[in-house]
Amino acid sequence: MRRSLSDQGYFYHPIHSSGDLMKGFGIVLYTGRADSLILAGVLAQTAAGYDIPVRIFVTSFATPYFMKDKPELRAPKEFEDLAQRMMAGMASMGVDSWYEMLKTAKELGDVKIFLCSMTMEALGYSKEQVDPIVDDVVGAATFLAEVSESQVVFV
Amino acid sequence: MTDVTPTISIDARGISCPGPLTNLIKAYRKAKNGDVIEVLATDPGFKSDVKAWVERTGNELISLTEEGGVIRALIKVTAR
Repeated sequence: MRRSLSDQGYFYHPIHSSGDLMKGFGIVLYTGRADSLILAGVLAQTAAGYDIPVRIFVTSFATPYFMKDKPELRAPKEFEDLAQRMMAGMASMGVDSWYEMLKTAKELGDVKIFLCSMTMEALGYSKEQVDPIVDDVVGAATFLAEVSESQVVFV
Repeated sequence: MTDVTPTISIDARGISCPGPLTNLIKAYRKAKNGDVIEVLATDPGFKSDVKAWVERTGNELISLTEEGGVIRALIKVTAR
C-alpha cells in the first residue's frame, strides 16, 4: 500500500475539537476576481454543509458577475499565467464553476446572497438585470445586521 | 472493525474539493443512526476533511484508508 503524503506528515491534520462551530459565516465578495469568486463558492458550499448559515454580500467589482449577463472571468495582470494554469487545471478536473458551487450551497443550507444596492446603481444596473441566484438587493446595514454574530471574511 | 458492511456507498472518485464532502453530507442527511456510509475519493484533501467533518458532527469514523490513490472512509452514523 502506497503511503500517502498525509501519512508522511505533509498535510494538515485537523484539530480534533468538538466545540461549537461558528454561528454564522459572512462573505464580503468585492474583488470580482476569478480566484475570489471560486473561493467564495468553495467556502459557501462547505459552510452550508456544516449547517452554518451563510450570508454573502456582493459589492464593488464582484457586482457584474451577479447579473444575468456576466463578464468574462478575469485575474490581475501579474497573476495571468497562474490564472490560466489554474482555470485549465480546474476544467480538466471537472471542478464545478463558482456559480454552480454557490447554487449547491443554496441547495444544501441556509445561504443568502445580497447584492449591494449602491454599487448596483453606480454601475448602471437595474433590478431586472440581477441574476436569480441573488436573494435581495440591500444596503450594508442589512448585511451587517445579518452577520452580527458571524465570522466574516473578505474576498 | 473494517469488515463492517456499508449500508450506503458513495463513489466520489475523480471529484475535487468540496465535492466529495458535499456528496457525503447529502447522503448523511437522508441516513439514520446505525447506517454505515462508505465514501471512495481521490481528492487528497478528503482525508483531513472527512476527519474534521466526523469530529465536528459527532459521528464515528470506523476506518480511513488509502490504497492506490483511492481514499476509503467508513463512517458510522451516530449523530442524526
